[in-house]
Amino acid sequence: MEEQDLIKGLQVSDRQVQEYLYEKYSRALYGIIRRIIFDQELAEEVFHDAFLKITKKIGSYDESKGRLYTWMANICRNAAIDKTRSKEFSKSSKTNTIDDYVYGMESESGTAATVDGIGVRELMEDLNEEQRLVMECIYFKGYTHTEVAEAHAIPLGTVKSRVRSALQVLKKKADKI
Amino acid sequence: MDIQAYISSGKLELFVLGDLNETEQQEVLSMAKKYPEIQKEIAEIEAAMFAFDQASGPEPSPAVKNKIFASLDAERESEGTSDEYLEKEVKLYPAANPWKPFAVAASLTAVIAIGAAAYFGYRYYEAEERVLLALEQNASLAENLQRTEFRLDQLDADTKQLLSGNFDRVPMKGEGLPMQEDARVDVFWDRESQEVFLSVNQLASLDENSDYQLWAIGEDGPVGIGLVDSEARLNLQSMQAAGEAQAFAITIEPKGGSESPTLEKLVVLGEVS
Repeated sequence: MEEQDLIKGLQVSDRQVQEYLYEKYSRALYGIIRRIIFDQELAEEVFHDAFLKITKKIGSYDESKGRLYTWMANICRNAAIDKTRSKEFSKSSKTNTIDDYVYGMESESGTAATVDGIGVRELMEDLNEEQRLVMECIYFKGYTHTEVAEAHAIPLGTVKSRVRSALQVLKKKADKI
Repeated sequence: MDIQAYISSGKLELFVLGDLNETEQQEVLSMAKKYPEIQKEIAEIEAAMFAFDQASGPEPSPAVKNKIFASLDAERESEGTSDEYLEKEVKLYPAANPWKPFAVAASLTAVIAIGAAAYFGYRYYEAEERVLLALEQNASLAENLQRTEFRLDQLDADTKQLLSGNFDRVPMKGEGLPMQEDARVDVFWDRESQEVFLSVNQLASLDENSDYQLWAIGEDGPVGIGLVDSEARLNLQSMQAAGEAQAFAITIEPKGGSESPTLEKLVVLGEVS
């Protein structure tokens, strides 16, 4: 299905189109949330709300500003970040490092992370320490690049170039998938 | 513009991550429009992120999918039936109490009407009172005016009389006479035209059966030249003509006057100088 047809279908809340959207993007979108919120139940709750938000707010999606997926990914990321900053979240475990995440996920489901893909650990293993840090902070935890630069006393330009180089590595990796 | 440097600055990645402010976003968008290389790079980053997101995470559990679509179905249903539901709701109220809104409206109207009636009634009453008062004042003013006009005419006539003729003033006094010590009456006499006028200054009121009478006293004795109105003070009273006189006098006579004066009742006397 072309992206434009997909958008039109969503705008009239066509159930079949919504299901198509779910099949195509749920895994990636949920992945974004799950990286930020380790707790499965909470992550699924956020995903539920974020997906409904996507179907409702489809009218405000502007094609000129990027692909549909990028727009949806930002909604999910922001929903997850908002949750981590809520009172509800601060009570539960907040400090999940990338290692917690990788091992936690593997120990939890054992297979889920690797059934269709190569898993986070493998994806991340080609990154050096510096690249892993910025990816962890920005991509996984949802910090802004300025926050990362301040927290770790790294020049802003350096943070940017590390984000880029990390994504370059991931891009190559993704090409192979 | 070094496109390659722009691409490798890391800004495009942050753009895709939603980590740019509005101004920076606009900048990237306009750059992408201008330079196909930048557009292509953004597309590649988006694709890479999608691939990474897709590969990195576990599937959401089937329970989430069921819940999401249950929510979506519920929304669709509520949208489809909401109009019908609303209509029923609207009809329910008037059906239960069809007269109520009218009763409320009617009583409200009644209250307003009573208030308005009382107010305007009061205003009307006030206005009418003012009109009556004004009419009364108008009438009294008209009366005053008439009186003033009459008096003005009289004074005008008196003045003309006095100015046109050659009148001698003959003051008559009650001094030294037994009747009224303070009585004073003036006679104005034109010898040529023989006209006589009289002005009462002070003269006591008389009973119904008596009159004051003016006498011109000449060589042939006193001649009655008319009755005097004692109430018309300081007004010129026209008397009968007097051809010849050395003095004027007023006596009290029976009603209507006498042929000859009652000298015992001489009130005032004035000699012509």
